[in-house]
Amino acid sequence: MAEVHIIGNLDGGEGFSSPNLSCKWCFETGGAWRLLEGVKDGQTQVDHPIDEGRAHWAHPIDLHYAIKGIQGWPKVSLQVFSEDIYGRTQLVGYGFVHLPTSPGFHEIECPTWQLAGTALDQVQSYFVGNGPQLINDDVIASGSDRYRLQTIASGTVYLSLYIVTRNFNKFGIES
Amino acid sequence: MADNSLFLVMITGQVESADFPLYDDLYCRVSVVYGADWLLVSGLEEGTSQITKKTKDEKQKFVWNFPIEVTLKSTNPHGWPRLVLAVYGLDAFGRDVVRGYGSVLFPLVPGSHKLQMSMFVPESTSLLQKFTSWLLGTRPEFVDPKFVTQSDGREVTRVRSQGSVSISCNIMTKDIATAGYVVSSTVKT
Repeated sequence: MAEVHIIGNLDGGEGFSSPNLSCKWCFETGGAWRLLEGVKDGQTQVDHPIDEGRAHWAHPIDLHYAIKGIQGWPKVSLQVFSEDIYGRTQLVGYGFVHLPTSPGFHEIECPTWQLAGTALDQVQSYFVGNGPQLINDDVIASGSDRYRLQTIASGTVYLSLYIVTRNFNKFGIES
Repeated sequence: MADNSLFLVMITGQVESADFPLYDDLYCRVSVVYGADWLLVSGLEEGTSQITKKTKDEKQKFVWNFPIEVTLKSTNPHGWPRLVLAVYGLDAFGRDVVRGYGSVLFPLVPGSHKLQMSMFVPESTSLLQKFTSWLLGTRPEFVDPKFVTQSDGREVTRVRSQGSVSISCNIMTKDIATAGYVVSSTVKT
């Protein structure tokens, strides 16, 4: 059986409405992928950067998959939250990114978006915070129901990952 | 297959310097953290640097020049070694206060690498804790600095990121390709 390792860090985020950010992340794979070791979802620390610049999460990622087929190559879906001075969190970005298929080091930038909602929603979220959220998180990484949504661009999330493959040439897979 | 899947990783390098504009008199605790399948073959996995003052020019750099030399063996890249740093300084009463935690993954690709580690300190989560820590002059700390290499439990921590540390390292691997692993798209077996 071929194996894939994903080792690296969820580095940080930048360009959101507030610099005090945290991120909820989840790796999604197809049915032929079996997770042998590692944690495939989690949530980062909340960073309050002193320079009000990029939020640093330095969140470790270390996954080991055994695969029977390459369909369903992993993708990571992200939800970025900001924290205000009262300690309230609100959602400021959704995003997903496919992991690179070639082995080696990859610096990945994931652009994110958030829901715009109606004009009333926008007025409400301007004064009390907390804009609209997705009920079903599956929409983040799938293209099937996107046409219903009205969205606004948000910040960028940075990941740095090493992809290590094992026994791919034994099965004739070129990556 | 099980017999020849063992591989060795040699890491040499140093904790070069740091950038902490607000502080002076800093030292760092260095540790190498690795997974359950890994075994230390030679070298020290922990160390403490000297206490240094920053340079007097406009760069305001702290230089530690602290060596890292470890060789590890494993059968599985899961739990690839990471470097953990905890930077401490002295406060006005001469007590050790933490100024930053950070971690960085050692590169999986052999060669010479320059790494940048951004540092952060945990913050009090409640106003009462903020007040008592201000009153007593004690900052919140992680019980174990190796916490920063774990994924679990991070969501409950509030941190303030400040400063960064520069690290240079050289990675050599042995038998990782014969174990069937491909770690780089340029090195074909």
